[in-house]
Amino acid sequence: MLKKRMIGAAFAAVATFCTMVPDAVAQQRQRFEYWYGLTGQLGEVMADHCRRFNESQTRFEAVCVGQGGYDRAEQNTIAAYRARQHPTVVQIYDAGTVNFMLSGVTYNAVNFARDFNMRINWSDYFPGVASYYATSRGEMWSFPYNSSTAMLYWNRQAFASIGRTAAPTTWQELERDMRAMKAAGHACPMAIDFDAWQFEQLSAIHNQPIATRDNGYGGLNAELLINRGFLPMHISNMRRWLDEGLMRIQTAQTGKTIVQAFADSSCALAITSIANHGVVSATQSEGMQWGVAMLPVYEGTSRTNSLVGGASLWVLQGKSRGEYEGAAAFLDWIATPAEVQWMPTVTGYIPITTPAFQQMMAGGFYNQARYAGREISIQSLTFTPPTANSRGIRLGNYTSIRSEIQSELQAAFTGQKSVQQALDDATARGNQILRRFEQTMRGRELP
Amino acid sequence: MVERTPLLNLLTHAILVVGLLMLMLPLWIVFVASTHDFRTVNTVPMPLWPGAHMVENYVTTWNQSQFGPKMLNSLIMAVGVTTGKIVLAALSAYSIVYFRYRLRMVFFWLIFITLMLPLEVRIVPTYAVAANALRPFQEIINVLGLSALTDLLFGVRIVLPEAQLLNSYAGLILPLIATATGTFLYRQFFLTVPEELLEAAKMDGTGPLRFFWDILLPLSKANMAALATIMFVYSWNQYLWPLLVVTDPAYGTAVMQLQRIVPGPLFGEPPRWHIAMAGTLMVMLPPLLVVVFMQRWFVRGLINQDK
Amino acid sequence: MSGKRVTFDRHWLALLLILPQMLLVFVFFYWPTGEALFWAFTLEPPFGGDMQWVGWQNFITVMEDPLYWNSVRRSVVFALSSTAIAMGIGMLLALFVDRELPGYRGFRFVFFWPYAVAAPAVGLAFRFIFAPDAGFVSAINQWFPGLWNPALDGVDAMILITLANAWSMVAYNFIFFLAGLQSIPRSLVEAGAMDGSGVLRRMRDIQLPLIAPTVFFLIVINVTDSFVNSFGIVDITTGGGPARATDLMVFKIYSDGFKGKDYSLAAAQSIILMGLVVLLTFFQFKYVERRVHYT
Repeated sequence: MLKKRMIGAAFAAVATFCTMVPDAVAQQRQRFEYWYGLTGQLGEVMADHCRRFNESQTRFEAVCVGQGGYDRAEQNTIAAYRARQHPTVVQIYDAGTVNFMLSGVTYNAVNFARDFNMRINWSDYFPGVASYYATSRGEMWSFPYNSSTAMLYWNRQAFASIGRTAAPTTWQELERDMRAMKAAGHACPMAIDFDAWQFEQLSAIHNQPIATRDNGYGGLNAELLINRGFLPMHISNMRRWLDEGLMRIQTAQTGKTIVQAFADSSCALAITSIANHGVVSATQSEGMQWGVAMLPVYEGTSRTNSLVGGASLWVLQGKSRGEYEGAAAFLDWIATPAEVQWMPTVTGYIPITTPAFQQMMAGGFYNQARYAGREISIQSLTFTPPTANSRGIRLGNYTSIRSEIQSELQAAFTGQKSVQQALDDATARGNQILRRFEQTMRGRELP
Repeated sequence: MVERTPLLNLLTHAILVVGLLMLMLPLWIVFVASTHDFRTVNTVPMPLWPGAHMVENYVTTWNQSQFGPKMLNSLIMAVGVTTGKIVLAALSAYSIVYFRYRLRMVFFWLIFITLMLPLEVRIVPTYAVAANALRPFQEIINVLGLSALTDLLFGVRIVLPEAQLLNSYAGLILPLIATATGTFLYRQFFLTVPEELLEAAKMDGTGPLRFFWDILLPLSKANMAALATIMFVYSWNQYLWPLLVVTDPAYGTAVMQLQRIVPGPLFGEPPRWHIAMAGTLMVMLPPLLVVVFMQRWFVRGLINQDK
Repeated sequence: MSGKRVTFDRHWLALLLILPQMLLVFVFFYWPTGEALFWAFTLEPPFGGDMQWVGWQNFITVMEDPLYWNSVRRSVVFALSSTAIAMGIGMLLALFVDRELPGYRGFRFVFFWPYAVAAPAVGLAFRFIFAPDAGFVSAINQWFPGLWNPALDGVDAMILITLANAWSMVAYNFIFFLAGLQSIPRSLVEAGAMDGSGVLRRMRDIQLPLIAPTVFFLIVINVTDSFVNSFGIVDITTGGGPARATDLMVFKIYSDGFKGKDYSLAAAQSIILMGLVVLLTFFQFKYVERRVHYT
C-alpha cells in the first residue's frame, strides 16, 4: 500500500515537473504584440518573418497578428489604443503616416532606437525611403519595412515586333511606340487604371509638386496643385490616347487588372509597382519576354527620383519596458543586412538599405532571371537626392483625397467631364478635406 | 392537392429551374475556381468546368490556415449567438405583445432601432465597451454622484471591476445578440396567435409563464427554426467585429482566417484565388449544413397548425 | 399600432422578461452609439485627445455636399429595386415550391443555400460573372460591343450591385415566405379548392393575405438591410464607382470614417442615415401595417 502510494506520488511529482519545466522556459520569454496589415501570400511572409525571429533567439517572443488589410490595421490600432489594448509594434501604410505623426501616441523611431540602444544606422537607409518617414527636419519616426516604387513594365516581344529592343525613356517615345504597335495590329499597347499613385510618382520624377508647402511637409495649410501645370497636360494626353485606342482601361471591375492584362500578354505596357514583379513572373503567359524600366519623363525634363510606397513599422507608447526591449530586438533584427535581403527574395519588395543592396549586387542576386531588372527600381528611387517635390507626400486624410481623384478621373475618362474640369473638382474637394483635417488637428503641428 | 393544371405545372417547373440556375451560378463559379491551380484560375476567362486540383487545394488551405480550431471557435460563437438570440428575443417579444404597460412601445422601438445603425459606424466605441463592459455603469454611477455619496457615507467609492471581454467567447457573442431581428420576428408571429387561445388559458387560471412555455413556444417552432437558421448563418459570417475583438489567434474564427487568405487590392499580392475559393467553400459548409438540417422544420405536418 | 386585446396584468413580470435584452442593447448598442453620435457634434481626431465642439458644422458640411445627395438618391433607388426584386422572386419561388409538385424537395433544398454565403464571397462571384472582359456576360459585349460595362457605366454598375444584393436576399425571403405559407392550415386552402378557385386565384385570395404579416416583416427587413448592410457588396464589386455611381450612403460612411478616419463626418452621416431609416420604418408601420390582418 505504501509502495503504491510512493509510486503514485513519484509519478505525480515527475508529471508536475515535466509540465513545469516547459512552462518555466516559456514563461521566461518576454512577449510583445506586433500587428501587420498585409494579407494573402504577403501576409504569410509577414507571419513567417515573425516566426523566424522567434526561432532565432530565446529571449523574446513576437506575437504577430494579421489585421486583414492596411485600412483595418490602422483602424484597429486606433480602436485598440482608445481602449488601451494596443500592440507594441504596428505596420502602417504610407498614407497613414500623417495620422500617426500627429497622433501623439507614437514612440518615435529616433528616440526609441536611442533609448533602447538599437544598432540601427539611420544613414544606411536610401534617402528616398528615409525621407518619406522622416520629419521635415530629417528625424525618422518610423522604421521602413516593405518598400516599393513605380516602374514601367514592357513586353519585349511586342516591342520587337515594331523593331525596338529597349523600353521608351520619354513619353514622346512611348507615344510613338504605342502608335507603331497599334498599326502593327496590337489591340492594347498600354493598360491603364485610375490609381492616383501613378500620378504622384510621375509628378515626383518631373520634380513637380502636387501640393503647396512642399507637398505638405511644411504644414497643415497646404493646398492641392494637381489642376495646374504638369498633371492636366499629362492626363489630357492620356485621355487623348485612350480615345485613340492606344491605351485601355483595365481594373478589377472590368475583370482584369493592369497587372493581369500585362501578365497574360494582352497589353504590352503598364505602370505599376515593382512589388508586382513576382506576381507577373508567376502568372505570365508561356514564353513571355518582358522587363521593367524606369518611368518615362517628358522630353526636355531632367529626371528626379521616384517616390517610395509600401509600409513602415511604428512603435506605440504605453507599453512595458520588457515589451519595448522585445520590440527593439525585433526591429534591430529585421534591419540586419541578411534580413533586409530576405524580403526581396520572397516578395517583390526592394531592399531598403545601401549595405544590403550592395551585398545583393555583389552576390549576383540580380543576375538571376527571376529577379532580373529589379535593381532598376533602386536606380529609380535613388536617381537624385530627394528634392522638395520628391521627398514624399504629407497630406492629411490622404486616402480620401486619393479616392476623390480616382472618382474624378473615372468621370473624365468616361467622358462625363473634361479633364480640366475633373481636376478642378478634385482639387476643390481635396482642399475641403485638407481644411477639415487642419481644423480637426488644430493645436497640433506637423513635426 | 391533386389538380390537373399541366400548363401551370410546366410554368412552375420552368420558373423553378431558372431560379435554380440564377441562384446556383455564383456558387458554381466559387467551386470551379477552387479546383484549378494558380495559373489556370488566373486566366481570363476562367474555364467553366472543374479542374483536377481539388483535393490538393483543399488540403493545402486546411493545413496552411489551421481551419480546424478556427471552425470550432466559429461554431461556439454561432451557437452562442443563436441560442442567446432565440431565448432573449422570445422573452422580449412576449413582454411587448402580451402585457400592456406604458413603456411597452418605447422598449419595442428602442430594440428595433438597433437594426438601423450599421456596425461599421459604431465599431470603435463598441470595442472600447468590450474592453470593459462595466464601464457604462461605472460612468453612470460617477455622473449620478452615487460614488461620491457612498464615499461620504461609508468612506469607500463604488468601483466596479473591469469586465474585459476581448479575446473571449463572451466578447464574440454578447455584442451580436444585441440586435432586433429576433424580437421583431417573434412579435409578428405572436400577433397572429388567436386571442381565444389566451382567453381560454386565462379562464383556466393559467399564469403568464405557463402560457408562454406550454402553449406559445410550441406554436412558434417554425419561426424559431427560421430564426435559428438565420442567426447561425449571420453570426458565422461575421467578419468585421471578430477581427477587432480578437487578436489572440487561439480565438480566431473561420471567417477571420478566410479574410487573411483572400488576396487584397495591394501591390505585390499574387492572386491565389484557388486557395481563397477553397477556403470560401470550406467556411461556407457548416452554415450550409445547418440550413440543410433545419429544413425539416419547415415541412408541413410537423407543425400542429390546426388550432 | 396593432396589439392584443387580451393581455396579462403582471407588469413587473413584463419588465423582468425584457430586462436581459434591454441590458445588452444598452451596453452594446446605445452606449457606444451615443459616443459615436456625440462625435457628430465635434471634430474628433482619430486617436482621441482634445476635440473641438463645432455644433452643426458637420451636418452643414454634409448637407451642402452635392455628392452626399447623390449617394442618398442612389441608396433609395438601390433599396427599392433590390427589395422589389428580392421579394418578388422569393415569393414566387416560395409559392411554387409550396405547391409540392414532384421534385419540390430538391428545389427547396437548394434555394436556401445562397443565404449561407458570406457577403465578400457573393461580391467576388458577381464581380467575376459580370465583368465585361472576363465574365460570362462578356459574351453580350461580343455581339453588342460596349453594351455592358459596369466598370465604366454607372447604370450598369447599379444593376450589378442590385442583382448581387437581391441574390442574397432572395434566399432569406424564400425561407420566411415558405415558413409562412407552410403554416397556413391546409384545410383553408382545400376549402378554397373545393369552392372552385384555381391555383392562381387561391394564391391571390387566400395565401397572400394570410402571409401578410410575413410580407410586412420582410419589407421592413429588406429595406432596412439594403440601407444598412449593403457595404460588403459594394466594397467588393464596384468600390463605389464608377465616378460614384454606386456610392451608397453606408459605403460613403465607411469610406469617410473607416478609411479616411474622419469620425465626425461619418457620425453626422450616420445620424442622417439612421433618421432616414427610422422615418421610413415608421411610415411602414403606420401605413402598411394598417392593412395587415393578424388574426
